[in-house]
Amino acid sequence: MQAPITPTDSTDAAVYDSVWAAIPDAPPVGLETVMLQQDKLYVVLAVVLIIWFGVLFFLFRTDRRLAQLEDDLDARPEREDTFGA
Amino acid sequence: MDWLHGAWAVFQKDLRLELRTRYAINALLLFVVSSLLLVAFAIGTGQVGERVASALLWVVIVFAGAVGLGRAFVAEEERGTVLLLQLHLRPSMVYAGKLLFNVLLVGAMNAIAAVGFVLVLGLEVEAVGLLAATLALGALGLAGAMTLLSAIIARAASGGPLLPVLAFPLLIPLLLTVVRVTQRALLLGASAGPWDASAGDLVTLGAYAGVVITASVLLFDYVWND
Amino acid sequence: MNTTRTRYGTGYRFLTIGIAGWMTVVIVAGLVLSIPRLNILEESARNLYFHVPMWFALMAGMIVSAVYSARYLMKPTLERDVRAEQAALVAMLFGVLGLITGMVWARFTWYVGTGKWWNFDPKQSMTAVQLMVFAAYFVLRSSIDEPRKRGRIAAVYNLFAVAIAPFLLYVLPRQLESLHPGGEGSPAFSQTDLAPEMRMVFYPAVIGFIALFWWIYTQRVRLRLAEERLADG
Repeated sequence: MQAPITPTDSTDAAVYDSVWAAIPDAPPVGLETVMLQQDKLYVVLAVVLIIWFGVLFFLFRTDRRLAQLEDDLDARPEREDTFGA
Repeated sequence: MDWLHGAWAVFQKDLRLELRTRYAINALLLFVVSSLLLVAFAIGTGQVGERVASALLWVVIVFAGAVGLGRAFVAEEERGTVLLLQLHLRPSMVYAGKLLFNVLLVGAMNAIAAVGFVLVLGLEVEAVGLLAATLALGALGLAGAMTLLSAIIARAASGGPLLPVLAFPLLIPLLLTVVRVTQRALLLGASAGPWDASAGDLVTLGAYAGVVITASVLLFDYVWND
Repeated sequence: MNTTRTRYGTGYRFLTIGIAGWMTVVIVAGLVLSIPRLNILEESARNLYFHVPMWFALMAGMIVSAVYSARYLMKPTLERDVRAEQAALVAMLFGVLGLITGMVWARFTWYVGTGKWWNFDPKQSMTAVQLMVFAAYFVLRSSIDEPRKRGRIAAVYNLFAVAIAPFLLYVLPRQLESLHPGGEGSPAFSQTDLAPEMRMVFYPAVIGFIALFWWIYTQRVRLRLAEERLADG
């Protein structure tokens, strides 16, 4: 992609129209057949799911660390409740 | 001992050591020359546009800087002279001396790399003054950033490969601006004068160097002192 | 190293329940409430509520991380180092999510039929660079064994990167074209300038995701401090 050399020609809206305003005539293929249904609502679904899975991934990682922490706690020599049992 | 005197002493010490062994100079020179030859061979006889040429030139310079400038503080650690410098000089003096030496080194490297590129790739330079100003400001910004980072590297366990990792994301603003100005300096028949078109970019380069050096002076104490 | 005992009481628990409820309302409102119809965007404009707050959460993480790095240099305590580290880690999570959601949104909205996933948008590039900085920050951390030195050197690198970050804001948009509002000629939201009914959901969404960042971040800080306390015996 050729970047504009002078800053002046980047204000030219026509440049952008040719890049973004083009609505393709060709029928959608592949993933696009799914994503463009329902007025592109599935794009929103995809974005929400990505965020949800990202947060979940992080939760699972934190969970594993917590489990490790609990194991280390168990492995620690008993001190507080020695006379309890 | 007053501040300038101390900084100058560090610079002179580094210069004298360098002239004795010529390690950094030789390494940088060889790096630039060999990568220049690589680029020349890879491109072959075809003509290169000014956009690609300026990008290649600066990628070579940034890589050479990342490889060659890491030694500044590692060498002090290896020779065991850190404590001596810590005792006798304030941190800012050490930083200023090292910075001056690195600016000199990168400046010389930039000049050699640029001349080599122009000759080997057969480029025509439209605005020689602009190219020289870009190379000088680029050297200042590059050396400013690399000096603090090489001090950081000297404190980390695994020196070598870490420096490019730390440096490249921070050098992106410099690289983008410098490539654009170089492109203008090489471009023949630009409608506006290349100097007028590049005024903003040159200010950006100057500001980058200023911010990098100011931040380095502020932060260097924490890296240098244990 | 002295570890401050950080108990999180009922106030914290109520806050987290509040965040969970708030985010639920935001998600429902974002999907259900009606929005003005734009030609290319259509219903995908709802992504404003979910994609854009990622960037705010990334910024929040960068700021928290930088503040604790600076405070660590003033007075080195384990807690400040842990806070700087974990804020950077959670910021990375939101940065990656913002990058991926942005790619998906652009690919199936503006780049339909082109097959382009990556388009060198300034905000996209900036996020990518910031993620590289954080990645380098963690590589640097892992290369130093001694905790005090690790905290100090990492804090210096973090603050050095923060000093340079504004240049990205200035340099990248001049180099690259943008889909995002604010840039000249951007078709995304400039015509509508964010309709009032969208503001009603957008601002709460931003607050909600920043709060979610804070929740995950404090949880990680508690975990790390507990690990350190256990290691100290």
